[in-house]
Amino acid sequence: MVMSSFSLSINGSSRTVDVAPDTPLLWVLRDTLDMRGTKFGCGRGFCGACTVHLDGVAVRSCQTPIASAAGHSITTIEGLARQTLHPLQQAWIDEDVPQCGYCQAGQLMSAAALLSKNPHPTDTEIVAALSGNLCRCATYVRIRRAVRRAAETAGHSS
Amino acid sequence: MTTAPPKLSRRAFFAVSGSVAGGLIVSYYLGGCTGTGSRRAFKPNGFVQIDPDGQVTIWAKNPDMGQGVKTSLPMYVAEELDVDWASVRVIQANLDRAVYGGQGSGGSDNTPSEWNRLHQAGAMARALLVTAAAKRWGVAGAACETEPGFVVHRASGRRASYGALAGDAALLPVPATPPPLKDPSQYRLIGTKVRGVDVPSIVRGVPLYGIDVRVPGMLHAAIERCPVHGGRPARVDPARAQAVAGVRQVVTLTGLENPTHLRPGVAVVADSTWAAEQGRAALGVTWDEGAGASESNDRLLRRFRELEAGGDLKTIRTAGDVARAWRAAVTRVDLTFEQPLLAHATLEPQNCTAHFHDGRCEVWGPLQMPTSGASVIAAAVGVPVEAVTIHITRLGGGFGRRLLSDYAAEAAVVSKLVGAPVQVLWSREDDTRHDYYRPCGLHHVRAGLDAHGRLTVWHHRLVNLSRNRYRRATNGPEMTEIYGLLVPVSGDPKDSYDPDLVPTRIPNCRLDYADVETTVPTGAWRAPAHNFNAFVIESVLDELAHRGKVDPVMLRAGYLGDQPVIPTTDDNPMPYDPRREQDVLRLALEKADWRRSLPPNWGRGWAAHYTFGSYAAVVAEVSVEGNRLAVQRLVAALDVGMPVNPLTLEAQTEGGALDGLSAALFGEITIDRGRTVQSSFDGYRLLRNVEAPNVEVHITPSRAKPMGYGEIALPPVAPAVANAIFRVTGRRITRLPFVQAGFELVAPRSYG
Repeated sequence: MVMSSFSLSINGSSRTVDVAPDTPLLWVLRDTLDMRGTKFGCGRGFCGACTVHLDGVAVRSCQTPIASAAGHSITTIEGLARQTLHPLQQAWIDEDVPQCGYCQAGQLMSAAALLSKNPHPTDTEIVAALSGNLCRCATYVRIRRAVRRAAETAGHSS
Repeated sequence: MTTAPPKLSRRAFFAVSGSVAGGLIVSYYLGGCTGTGSRRAFKPNGFVQIDPDGQVTIWAKNPDMGQGVKTSLPMYVAEELDVDWASVRVIQANLDRAVYGGQGSGGSDNTPSEWNRLHQAGAMARALLVTAAAKRWGVAGAACETEPGFVVHRASGRRASYGALAGDAALLPVPATPPPLKDPSQYRLIGTKVRGVDVPSIVRGVPLYGIDVRVPGMLHAAIERCPVHGGRPARVDPARAQAVAGVRQVVTLTGLENPTHLRPGVAVVADSTWAAEQGRAALGVTWDEGAGASESNDRLLRRFRELEAGGDLKTIRTAGDVARAWRAAVTRVDLTFEQPLLAHATLEPQNCTAHFHDGRCEVWGPLQMPTSGASVIAAAVGVPVEAVTIHITRLGGGFGRRLLSDYAAEAAVVSKLVGAPVQVLWSREDDTRHDYYRPCGLHHVRAGLDAHGRLTVWHHRLVNLSRNRYRRATNGPEMTEIYGLLVPVSGDPKDSYDPDLVPTRIPNCRLDYADVETTVPTGAWRAPAHNFNAFVIESVLDELAHRGKVDPVMLRAGYLGDQPVIPTTDDNPMPYDPRREQDVLRLALEKADWRRSLPPNWGRGWAAHYTFGSYAAVVAEVSVEGNRLAVQRLVAALDVGMPVNPLTLEAQTEGGALDGLSAALFGEITIDRGRTVQSSFDGYRLLRNVEAPNVEVHITPSRAKPMGYGEIALPPVAPAVANAIFRVTGRRITRLPFVQAGFELVAPRSYG
């Protein structure tokens, strides 16, 4: 396999990696860049554990070859908080959402993409946006509660 | 002729099967300290340390897979120590037999079994701090008391922080006898809602899990296993795999005699996960498929039916005269249930990192049972168990899968073969195809009511796969999967009882059992045995009530009401009180407002079950229109004794109920030509957010002995839903999952 050089923008920083062009973004993040917050669950886009943002849109990093991620703005769970936690991260803490916690980075990234384009989603919109993210512990009840709470919090502060 | 095994208590069973053995005497009252003089840290035992600056550290001894023991067990220590929870830092302990004894999580056992020693560890530290303060002030220890983080002498108004006393306390001899524990009425922390200690790290993406372990010089391995269960590599052609960029080496694993310890395979070792997977895809392997190549679901089901119909089952319990009572019964139910194989599907695929060097093996991984895992690893690489070090990571799910440590043995063996630290990572396909599945089986129940609507006869015949036979346990396959885990096949049936086994205290009762040998791997799955037995028992009771025109709640009151309480004994740490089971059912029904009428095409069903010392009841509301099934609402009531951390208890109830729903709706692994048919979440479906109803949780306030709650809410869900479907459609479902009955699952109307 021929290695190529790719310039990436991740969480506002520029990174250059030398990998095979078909390497999924997931493994570049985890193995090459040592950003291990993004999780491997199935490698086929079924579970959503590996969800990141590409130009603000939630994508499955296991299904995103590095060649197609280059030149786009990538946000991972490590970049979700700015000066303070994202309202969703705070809501996840307040509602004590995680059980094993393994899926939650992906859940948060999908929820963040939803709230960025729809700050006050209905329950139907919440479950539609989050149904590509499996939670094996089935924390769905609290995930919904936390998204509602974050939407309310953001509403009060704006 | 084999001799009858000794009667095993649940506790003994867990010791045998490598779980947390509660009975170990641990010398953790060893004084210890770091630093010098007044700047010493105070560490009176392996669980707690107080630094001179006031930092309180508590070690969490057992693995956390989402059930919350990294939070709830340190709460025991903090309660007796008397500190503000906000001042506590919790650290995951590594495997350390000398300090902690057995370490592991399973059977919802941590909550009760760790109670005494962790309370004592905290009380010991507090007592020494009080003694240090009393000495400093020249007053009697009995005149001092504590407030969170301080020792106080009220008479003189003096107070000293734990940090200021740490140096003095570290020099004190540790008393020989444990100090008295708090009266529960004095608890400040236990019983309050405490958030998970790892949650702030989880939401930031901090690496916590086995898959996140990185060791300098670490290589990555992917393992190809024979697609046919029980097979092994016959010939390996590594050339194409070795030509893949980044691939270092291809090595063969021969496996161990016990297939739950290590199975055969071919490992591709590479510089990265992706390269290892690419190399594995290029691997050429010819398999010796072995005897299992013709195994299938159909064959297993046929064997179950033949055995059951042929009558060649062993009677393992009997009471009264079942034949006569069956003839005399006024209302009779005769139902046969099919139980499918289930996968665990932990979202974090199996993985482990190991470094074998200089006759020692250092391991980092998501193990439910580090203590038994160390023995498995030691045997796999041929070193004494003392040469195995285990760093316990957070587990991305367990559900019983990680009671077995085969993937840790793999990492250890591959590391030894290649001479470098190695992380073995399973793909999702590996995980689905090579799981140790919940056994499948066939249950046949005949039960009847007398003219007064009383349950007088219960004859239950079970034929299934035995996970005990599969793991070649010395006590298996004598142990069955019927009702509780511990019904011995041999021995005097009259001599044994099991508190899980409610129906066996019906006057005329018989249990018959046989297992079928297979190459299909089997293991424990959340609420083992209970996870299907509850479906069988509660479906039969519902059918009896329906046919006998008996109020289902009254039927239950009738057969539970005058049963004796089974007390706690040394042999049986799990008391059973039938009134508590009735009470949770009443609570769930009340909270569900069960007499309220429902919209057309809606129905309500309920079930209750006793699992591992705790009681749960679930009321389900469903709607069925055509073949469109929606589960609209679940209401759960639990009695787990004194609730330790209600926030986690609610979480485990919400998640456990939905896990039960997911398995009941979709869960089924099928076998064809000796192989597992499903490979990922497309074929092995899990419940999605849009399909998940709201779960309302109600907890019985209690001062009774605290019991576990990781597995309790799950068993009653499938029968509650089935009974609700029966109310709407008149159709009795006897085979799971529900989608096999032709239902299409649709979203609930609202999410509460």
